[in-house]
Amino acid sequence: MLKAAIDADIFRETIDVISALVTECRLQVSDAGIQTRAVDTANVAMVSIEVRPEAFTSFTATTQELGMDIAKMKNIIAMMNKGDLLSLDLPEDGHKLALTFRGYKYSITLLDVNTIRKEPNMPNLDLPGRIILSGNALNSAIKAASVISDKIALGIDPTAGIFYMEAEGDTDQIRLEMGKDELESLSMTEARSLFSLDYLKDMGKVMSRATQVEVLLGNDHPVKFLFDIADGKGHVEYLLAPRIEAD
Amino acid sequence: MKQCGTCKGRGFCGLSQCPVTSRFYASLSISPSSSYMGGAPSVFVGSTGYPRVRGGPLLTDGSDNPEHWVHHKFGIDDIVRVRAQTIRGTAEASITCESMHEIALSSRPVDVEVAFEKPVRFDLTFDGTLAPVGLYGSITSIAVLDNARVERPVERVTSDTDLRATEAVDQLYREKVDVHRIQQLFTSGLLGVRRRIVPTRWAITAVDDMIAEGLKQRIRHNPTPEGIRIHTATLYGNQIICLLLPGPWAYEMIEIWDKNSLWGGEKTSIIRDGERERKSGYSPIAGAYYSARLAVLELLEQTGHMASAIVVRRVSDEYWAPLGTWVIREAARAALKTPPLCCPDIDTASRTITALLGSSDWLAASTHFRTIRTQKTLFDFISG
Repeated sequence: MLKAAIDADIFRETIDVISALVTECRLQVSDAGIQTRAVDTANVAMVSIEVRPEAFTSFTATTQELGMDIAKMKNIIAMMNKGDLLSLDLPEDGHKLALTFRGYKYSITLLDVNTIRKEPNMPNLDLPGRIILSGNALNSAIKAASVISDKIALGIDPTAGIFYMEAEGDTDQIRLEMGKDELESLSMTEARSLFSLDYLKDMGKVMSRATQVEVLLGNDHPVKFLFDIADGKGHVEYLLAPRIEAD
Repeated sequence: MKQCGTCKGRGFCGLSQCPVTSRFYASLSISPSSSYMGGAPSVFVGSTGYPRVRGGPLLTDGSDNPEHWVHHKFGIDDIVRVRAQTIRGTAEASITCESMHEIALSSRPVDVEVAFEKPVRFDLTFDGTLAPVGLYGSITSIAVLDNARVERPVERVTSDTDLRATEAVDQLYREKVDVHRIQQLFTSGLLGVRRRIVPTRWAITAVDDMIAEGLKQRIRHNPTPEGIRIHTATLYGNQIICLLLPGPWAYEMIEIWDKNSLWGGEKTSIIRDGERERKSGYSPIAGAYYSARLAVLELLEQTGHMASAIVVRRVSDEYWAPLGTWVIREAARAALKTPPLCCPDIDTASRTITALLGSSDWLAASTHFRTIRTQKTLFDFISG
């Protein structure tokens, strides 16, 4: 059973976070809110998200797993206006989730959870580098790099005391450096890894709305992005596997 | 910069006649006549002046179906000869619309009687997407003498005006109606809710794309077999190499026009395009991209597998006349029917392709290949 009401914008934010990586997921619903963890089809990126009951205007739920068609949800969200209140309603043992807003009532058939990939294990990672910056700055850097390349290196140079992002195309280069005064926080540990901009572009769009993004970096290791949504009542972790530097 | 590789006769250079295609103009004898009685196997709609397009029947007693040409081992000369004798009759849609419907609906050519304004004139048109046609005449009247013979699924889908075009195309394809036939129905405006006549060139790509969308949905949950496979075949100077790798759906096509080939010019020209789950925008490779993709998806559906594919099309100077994107579809289908060369690892695969092509140019152009070689997965970091 699920009976909840939520601001359309917060719901849109939640769906956007997930849809950046996957088109369907297993949504865990309980009295602690909603949460999911999913990897993309290529096993390169992972999203974990939790939205606490306080993010909803009202929320009652029993523990269950729902198979969500995220791509379809995204299309429905396009029909909502800013400031709409969305109510979600799933009866006990029901297979259809009712979404009601502004007099519209969508009745969405849930996916069979067995057809959706299981929630992955969280890799154990050693990510010593830590940077905190605004989501907007991060997204801008990603966009700037994607003009000339399909990959970007993120790194910390402790001797110069900077966080840098650099990208190299066939003929062109771009480098962006940010010192301590432009960042919220920077750890002085050597780190550098290379990532596919294909994935980062989609993640960056979502992260641009966050006031603060915590970036955890290692050497040729995945990168982890942590940020809040829904005014701190929801939390997101993105994990992205690196590319190895070309020979 | 020479743009012939992306333009393929669409007039990007601004010249009134394509210098590449105009070299075929001289090669045929004409017997001008201002009437025609005989078979009309298919229809054709031009894209000039859209939405006020002109269209009409293609008139020939020969075969019009590319799959038939390939099956009967027609050479490129034979095809050009057959097509050069084909008449493209056009008129404003109001005159030809009904007879176009009859012709497109029928599974075998219907007989027609046509009167032209003036004797037909020689006007061999080539372009990358369409099969060539040699003679041209402006129609004043047309009468269909036969009754159309219509297969049951075609009858059902074309008479249902609440069925959207995408679903109609998908249904026809699943009931084993030829892709060529579906394109004919689409161009003559017999599918969908708001029906209209569609320029044939657009219809060909639209149908390829719609079928591919349906196939992508159906193969989404297919298992990925281990192993790297390479299939290859050559048709009319088009060498198709198809590399299938384990992984989720991803597709990349690399088109290599050899030096002195049709659109190649003085040096080799290479064009690439690719996609992951969704394709946005029209491909710079044009219709060929969609035709080859259809062949790959067809194979994956038949075998119940999922794979990432890289298709290399290399065009030599043997391909002296552009015949239409069906060549790529048939070449890719033929390639995928051949027994695969199995490669133990990705580096062997790249060496094999380079050996087949005799050059490693494709490797520099392929971004998918680079990604596959360098991208780690999260599983690489889950210990024990």
